[in-house]
Amino acid sequence: MRDNGGGVLALSDIDFEVHDNEFVTIIGPSGCGKTTLLRIIAGLIPYNRGEVAIDGRAITGPGPERAVVFQNFALMPWADVLANVTFGLEVRGTPLDECRDKAKDLIKIVGLEGFEKRLPKELSGGMQQRVGLARALAVNPRILLMDEPFGALDEQTRRLLQEQLLRLWEEQRKTVVFVTHSMDEAVMLGDRVMLMTPRPGRVKEMIDVPLQRPRSPQVEKSGAFVEIKEYLWENLRAMQVGES
Amino acid sequence: MKKRIVVDWGLRLAVFIAAVGLWELFVSTTQNFLLPRFTDVARALFFLVFSEARFWEALYISNQALILGFAISVVVGIPLGLLAGRFRWMDRVLNPYVGVLLTMPVAPLIPIVIIALGLGIAARVFIVVLFAFVFITVNTRAGVRSVEPSLIEMAKSFGASEAQIWRRIVIPGAMPAIFAGMRIGLGRSITGMVMVELILVASGLGRLLLEFSGRMQSDLVFATVLAVIVEALALLAGMQALEKRITRWAPDISIG
Amino acid sequence: MKQETVAKPAPKSSAARTVVMPRGLRSYACRNLPEVLAPLAGAVLWEVLGWSLDLQWLPPFSKVLEALVQFVGSGVILANLRSSLQALIIGFCLSLILGLFLGSLMGRYRYVEKAFDIYVHALFVCPSIVFAPIFFAIFGLSDAARIAIIVVYAMFVIVINTATAIRTVDPSLVEMARSFGCGEAQIFSRILLPASLPLVFAGIRLGMGRAVKGMINGEMLIAFVGLGALAEKYGAQFDAAKVFAIAMVVLIIGLVSNALVQMLDNRLTRWAD
Repeated sequence: MRDNGGGVLALSDIDFEVHDNEFVTIIGPSGCGKTTLLRIIAGLIPYNRGEVAIDGRAITGPGPERAVVFQNFALMPWADVLANVTFGLEVRGTPLDECRDKAKDLIKIVGLEGFEKRLPKELSGGMQQRVGLARALAVNPRILLMDEPFGALDEQTRRLLQEQLLRLWEEQRKTVVFVTHSMDEAVMLGDRVMLMTPRPGRVKEMIDVPLQRPRSPQVEKSGAFVEIKEYLWENLRAMQVGES
Repeated sequence: MKKRIVVDWGLRLAVFIAAVGLWELFVSTTQNFLLPRFTDVARALFFLVFSEARFWEALYISNQALILGFAISVVVGIPLGLLAGRFRWMDRVLNPYVGVLLTMPVAPLIPIVIIALGLGIAARVFIVVLFAFVFITVNTRAGVRSVEPSLIEMAKSFGASEAQIWRRIVIPGAMPAIFAGMRIGLGRSITGMVMVELILVASGLGRLLLEFSGRMQSDLVFATVLAVIVEALALLAGMQALEKRITRWAPDISIG
Repeated sequence: MKQETVAKPAPKSSAARTVVMPRGLRSYACRNLPEVLAPLAGAVLWEVLGWSLDLQWLPPFSKVLEALVQFVGSGVILANLRSSLQALIIGFCLSLILGLFLGSLMGRYRYVEKAFDIYVHALFVCPSIVFAPIFFAIFGLSDAARIAIIVVYAMFVIVINTATAIRTVDPSLVEMARSFGCGEAQIFSRILLPASLPLVFAGIRLGMGRAVKGMINGEMLIAFVGLGALAEKYGAQFDAAKVFAIAMVVLIIGLVSNALVQMLDNRLTRWAD
């Protein structure tokens, strides 16, 4: 993919590929445009130059093969968990019974069985994000786009959800593009980490993460993990210092 | 917990009794023979409600303007509010007018409406609409603006069309504010109805009040006013109950 | 609870001088084009329709302005205006005193709140104009009746906002004051009063608007003096231009009084959001 932003030049010289069933994490300092990039891939923002293509076909807007998980959950406060999860399916015209069945399965998979009738305000942040995840998975996307999905959660909840996400991914192996602020998260979750620099956003480097799958929490102590993380931090810190 | 409720209501009752007592005191000390005692008013109220057919007739006539006017206000006000909320340019164009209509008292315009529409029900309905519809519009607009943009984005990300976004995100999201607007609009409609009745005393409750006033029957005047107050409170309480049922999930952002 | 978010106007740049002003005005107009165009378009439309349709109730906009100017020139409106404003000021001050007093008590003491809340709410919520016949019966065709109506219109929004303002003062501030040994009176004057000021002012602003409405509504009903009476008189004469002009005068009164309260608000609550 290769694209540029317009107006304030948000992104420039972005050129990378994501392979099928690959888990790519994107990390960079604030203002590097990683969220913008994700939203371009999602089809939520138009782009001026270049091309974003899936299987060679260019994207012009949101599509059924992609689903987004949002940082602030984006749940409809007036609808219960079940209705929130079925939303994506309903919008695409799936008959209601089918929607409900699929939704119930996913609700079970993310561990929220029994909470179908609850309203978002009755759920904790972690539970709300699981609803968001269930909703995205319900439409069976090829590509899962996750925009700092655990950013609004406390550390403990974050770790639990990371583990859960990994477990889910092992089973289904969807293509995932995951934007994050956290180096731990980037290395823990990804097959490759895309390091971005700010103003305008550029891809500095694609870093392979050759750690064994399935990833367990122990992997954080491994030498390779620490090495990659250190490398990331060196680069990121330099970018921060460069800013002032 | 129960004790608290008893105490609270005891306090309220005490205030009521004190107020009635003060009233009686005031009446007996002043020489104003136009001032009815509490008991007189109560008796008059019973009379009106249970034995006076003309009271119910007047109520019916007055409420015609209320119901029609409120209905039209809702039908006009909500779509305007939805448009103003969703489309920025429309909002900016309507803004000055809305601002004026919100702050300007409608009452001075009543003579003009009379010139234009005469003294019949059309004028009464129009005045009620003038009183009410702006508040419905303004609250509806606020409701639409209050819908989280991230929700709309989320819907777009799942491929929802404009119509779907309206139906499934914007309107449910704006519901609490729309209902608040309707509640406030109802209050304003009642104000409009009463203003109309008291200025254009041609029919309905206004006519009754004029009659009672003229005949110095102040107990009946008070009783009629009391009846209107009771009706207003009942209607508004009903609207509020409806509002609460529909919108259990939302905080209060009402305007007016 | 009906509350209004207190909106503060942006502070003006101290570097503005007369040379800069015309340009500033033009850029303001350019930025807010729809807001400026819409009323202009409306005025033009009014003018055109007024001339072309020749309806008794729709005089051309220019005729309304003419009537307005005439008012200002002649003494006709002055006497009535003064009478209306007098009632407004007295009524509003009375509402302030009563409203702030009752509101403070209700905000501070739970028993007072519980005793009066349903009555205050009922009186706030029901159309205040219904009390006009009652005041008319009690006070007759007099200033007292008009003032009473203004008080009923304005008082309760002040009570409710004041009560809420005091009740929602950060309790940790009160606790802090207590910890330094403050007594009741000191807590009230040094903590509760300043902390509640923004919301109280919101209530006062709303109350001002309500008072103006009460003034004109009351005068239309108890129409023996004041702008309301004038409006009815001209209405009976089918002089629509003059009636519109009076409506504009009332609108101006509303805007000016609101601006005054807003100015006071800004000076006294600069520290708030």
